[in-house]
This record gives sequence, structure tokens and C-alpha cells, in this order.
Amino acid sequence: MAASKAQGSYLAVFWTAITVLCAGIAYFAEGFGKLVLVFGLAGVIISLVGFLKIKPLEGKTAGVTGIAAMKILGIAVALGGWFVTIAGLHLTTSTGGRLIFALVGIAVSLVGVLGVLPVAFGKSVAGKAQSSSFMAAKTTMEHSR
Amino acid sequence: MKKLCRRSCLGLWVLALGLAFGLAVHAQAPAPAAPAPAAAAAPAPATPVDAELKDAAGKAPSQADLQKGDPSGAITGTISDVPAADSKAGVTLPDVANQVGQNKIAVNFVWTLVCGFLVMFMQAGFAMVESGLTRVKNANHTYMMNFFVYTCGLFAYWIIGFAIQMGGAAGNSNLGGLQPLASEHAISIFGKMWGLWGQSGMFLVGHTYDVGVMVIFLFEMVFMDTALTIVTGACAERWKFLAFTVSSIIMGALTYPLYGNWAWGGGWLSQLGTNVGLGKGYCDFAGSGVVHAVGGITALAVCMLIGPRIGKYNRDGSANAILGHDVSACLIGCFILAFGWFGFNPGSTLGASANGNLRIGTIAVDTMLAGCTGTIGAILYMWALKGKPDYSMSGNGLLAGLVAITAPSGFVSPVSSCIIGLVAGVLVCLSCSFFENVLKVDDPVGAISVHGANGLWGVLSVGLFADGTSNYGGSWNGVTGSVTGLFYGDASQLVAQLVGISTLIGVVFTISMVINLALEFFIGHR
Repeated sequence: MAASKAQGSYLAVFWTAITVLCAGIAYFAEGFGKLVLVFGLAGVIISLVGFLKIKPLEGKTAGVTGIAAMKILGIAVALGGWFVTIAGLHLTTSTGGRLIFALVGIAVSLVGVLGVLPVAFGKSVAGKAQSSSFMAAKTTMEHSR
Repeated sequence: MKKLCRRSCLGLWVLALGLAFGLAVHAQAPAPAAPAPAAAAAPAPATPVDAELKDAAGKAPSQADLQKGDPSGAITGTISDVPAADSKAGVTLPDVANQVGQNKIAVNFVWTLVCGFLVMFMQAGFAMVESGLTRVKNANHTYMMNFFVYTCGLFAYWIIGFAIQMGGAAGNSNLGGLQPLASEHAISIFGKMWGLWGQSGMFLVGHTYDVGVMVIFLFEMVFMDTALTIVTGACAERWKFLAFTVSSIIMGALTYPLYGNWAWGGGWLSQLGTNVGLGKGYCDFAGSGVVHAVGGITALAVCMLIGPRIGKYNRDGSANAILGHDVSACLIGCFILAFGWFGFNPGSTLGASANGNLRIGTIAVDTMLAGCTGTIGAILYMWALKGKPDYSMSGNGLLAGLVAITAPSGFVSPVSSCIIGLVAGVLVCLSCSFFENVLKVDDPVGAISVHGANGLWGVLSVGLFADGTSNYGGSWNGVTGSVTGLFYGDASQLVAQLVGISTLIGVVFTISMVINLALEFFIGHR
């Protein structure tokens, strides 16, 4: 779907709301700051609901859906690698030991990011053309319009 | 009559309000200085320095001399231009000392601001590179994303991002101390305090309405916008404008500033040296990690979510080359970026006048050389393996060298910078091929490889090549001494850099992925 008035309106609400929300955070210590924060939060929620409401107007898009559980696993593994690195800083004081922990942590994170998540997102399923060559794919795309 | 009465009352009310306001302003005005005690008012005995100053004042060119013009510049800028606190006493030693201090800060302000302006101009380079590498039907969309990302990022950074990143970054003597930025939220773990985010500077009001804060805001803002515009390149030709806008606002408000605080704003990565004895803490001179790797890694997360362009991959998984539409835009854009990099790296000293800041020449030369060898590496690699030099990879080689030298530029020698750039030039070719053919991640401009892979390489190279000759006031991140890498005898610096890399891959990627998954649910990225 191309840009629409509804998108613009809800974006304006979102933009205003986060500004008000940040003003609430900035003046949180004062009484009216908390009130402003609540107004800002309400505005953000309204804008998000608005975005959700107009989303079906898109129709079918070429985005990838993927497997939810694999996505969570991939993210967890990526974050887990960082915990390994951080744990190493406290488990040992030797530079060599910390170096090993850091390398293992990075390797674990990379498994999550480059190993699990691409599988979770289905490795380009949506991007596959209808035929084996790009020119044919292009023709197919043009016909489908 | 009633009308007249009402008008008179209104007039009186306005008058009373004005009076009250005037009183309030008067009450807030500083009280006039109390007359100095008689003993203090007595003239101090003239020192030899005072006598020399008076002598110099006597020899200063007169108004009549100056009216004749000064073609050689020999009589412009003398003791006559130093303001005296007491015109009767003339210029004194404290007057001269104050002027020297102000000159130092002024030089640093001008240097930092001009470098910031150069970095701002890089937005034009990014727009040209990204649009040149995309198809003509999507050029307008890509240009528009590059144009609007500046606004989205700037606004988000002003309302909260700057406070999160730099709210606790007080203490930079180059810019006058930045004392209004002295509020860092920290937690205690294993008996040590670790900074997590800054707390002062939202909307630049209150105490942060300060000349030094404005300078650092401008400089850090343009860096942040560079990170944001990396994502638009990787997601070009298929990113819904609404999703791009909201994603960019959140990145400028949260993702980028968080890592920026940990590395540059007094956060926990910069404290690895003082808290656990890892070298001089995590060192990222101008932002291979903070700017480029954060941008590249976020781009990877969004690219995975958004999927490839239609027609990019065949059913058997092989990739089709989708050529860009404008070689000239791409390569001129690369030159604009290379020019802007002279603001990026040398400007990151945040000053030209202080202990160690004269290294700006070395930093500029390092930047030049790494870009040069990056281009050589990419061209030779493509020529030797594919049979001809490829224009897009040549441009990416230049940018890869520049990205890689961004973190180590303040700490390494010209020879090391050549090696770092050369490795980056080859790495960008290998990385582009890996993401396209193995991971099936469609990145039209190679942003993930240029900024993500080489950003990480830049961070790592500090821990390898830093030669221990830099001396920015005698310490870095609160640890005395110069930053020294593994090849020059300090393995612990390498560990600090690896912790930074682990944080980029483990934490920054996760934050970006979770935020953009939420946006996928509410808005949809395509």
C-alpha cells in the first residue's frame, strides 16, 4: 500500500505522543511530569493501535513470516553469548581466561545471529522468483502487476 | 462607564503584573559586588611581569597605525586585543591567562563544530551512494528515506537520545568541562559501579542550556544520524516508509544512544579498565563500533525481518545480481563520504588545542591511508577473482577501509592503518558474498558488510594495533597511560575490545531485533 492519510495522521499522533512522553520523563520529579508522562503513554498506545488498525489495508505483502519459536531461540542464543562473555570477566582474573570466555561468548552469539535466525526467517523464501532466471522473474513480476 | 472601568481595571492588572515580573527579575539578578575592603583595594606592588605587560602595551600599535592598514598582518592581534578587567590598571597577568584559556576552548569549539558540519554533509554522500546502487524505479524512495532520516534522528536525539548517551559525560576539559552533563544512572555489581545511561540533557533545557553542551550535542547528533542512514541502505527498495520512520525514531532515541553511552558517555564498557583492569577500557576513537557496527548490525536485524527484494533469489536459492542505476552518483557519493570522514575521525579529538590533540594530523593521514588501501584491496580482490574491477565493490572497499580505521585512527601508526584498510577491503568482498549467497540476506548496497563486518573489524584492530604513542592528556577512560594493543604488549586491551564486540552482537542486535519485531507486528515492514 502506498502512503495514506491514515498513516500520516497516526504518525503525527505517535510523534506528538513520544515528545510528550519524553517531556514527562524529563520533568518526572515534578508533579505535572507524571501527568504528562501518562498522557504521552496514552498517545503512544493510541498511535500503535491506529497503526495496527490500518495494517490490514496493506493486503498481502512479500514479507517473511518465519517460525516464532526459532526466532525466540535465535534471540536467546545471541543474548546468551553476551552473558558468557560477561560471566568470564567475573569468573577469572587472568587475561587469557577472559579472552577465551570472550571468544566463546562471541561464537555463541554468532550461532544465534548467523545460524539460528536465518533458519527462523526461512532464508529468503519470499524473495524467490517464479522462474529460474532473473529475466524470467522480472517478466513474471511485470505480468503480476 | 462600565466599559471604561473594565478597561482601567485591565490596565491596572497588566501594570501590576509587569511590576511583579520586574521585581522578580530584579530579585533574581545577581547582587552588585560588595565594595572591596580597604586593604584589598590598595594597589599590589608591581611585579616584573606586570611591568613587561605595561611595556608591551606601550609598544602596541596605535589607532593611527591601524588606520593605515596592515597588509603583512604584523600588527593585527596584539596585547591591545586582550580585554582588561580593570581599564585603569591595564592588562594584567590574570587577564592574559583568562584570554589564553578562552582561546583554547574557542579553538576546540570551532574545530569540533566545523568537523560536525563535515559529518553532516556525509548525509548527502550516503543518499547518493544508496540511490546510485538501487534501481531507478526506487531511487526517489531511497533519496527520500535518506533525507527524512536526518529529521527523524535529530528530533529523537534532541528529545531523549542525547540525554541517554551523553547525560553523564561530564569532565571533557577540551570543551570547558561539560559539567552540566553529570548525571549517569549506575548500578552496583560485584562491588563496582557500572554506568547504564545518562540522565541530563533532555530537550537541552535547564542547566544543559550551555555553550559547551551545544557543541557536543551537534557533534554527537551528526554521528548518530550516520548510524541511522546505514539501515536505509540495507533495506532499500522494499521498506515501507511508515515503518522506516518509526524504526528510525526509536533507533535515534534508544538503540544508538544506549551503546553510545556505554562506550563514550561514561558507561560500563568505558569502565572496563578502571573496574576490572582491562587495558584502558573499551576504546572506540571515532565510532567503528558505536556508529558503524551499531548501524550495520541493526541493518542485519531489519534485513532478516523484511526479507529480500522480489526477484533477488531463484527457486534453487541462487542469487540474481540487481544492478544499480547510477555509477556516477555512487562513486561521487563515496568521495563525499571520504571527505566527510575528515570530520568524523580527526574531529573526534573534540579539540585541536590541548595535550595530545595535535595528533589530528596523524589521525587524518591514517584515515586517508586506510581508505586508500581499502580501495586497493577490494579492486585487486575482485579483479583477480572475478576478472574485472567492480565499481560497487571499489566504492565499498574505500568505505570499508574508512569504517575500519574509525575506531583505531587515534591510536595507530600510518603503517598499521594501511594494514587495517587492506584487510577491510578484502573483508568487505568476502562478507558481501557470504551474506548474499550463504545467509540469503539481501543487502542492495552492501551496508551490513561495509559498516557491520568492518565496524567489528575496526573495534578488534584497536586491541591489536594500538601502539601506545597516543597521549590525550595522559590517560584514556580514566586509566593512566596510552592505549596499547596486543602487538605492542597489552593483551588485556584486546579483551576489552572483544567484550565490546560481544555486546554489539549479543545486546545491540537483540534490542534492534526485538524493537523491529514489535514494529513488524504493529506496522509491517514491507
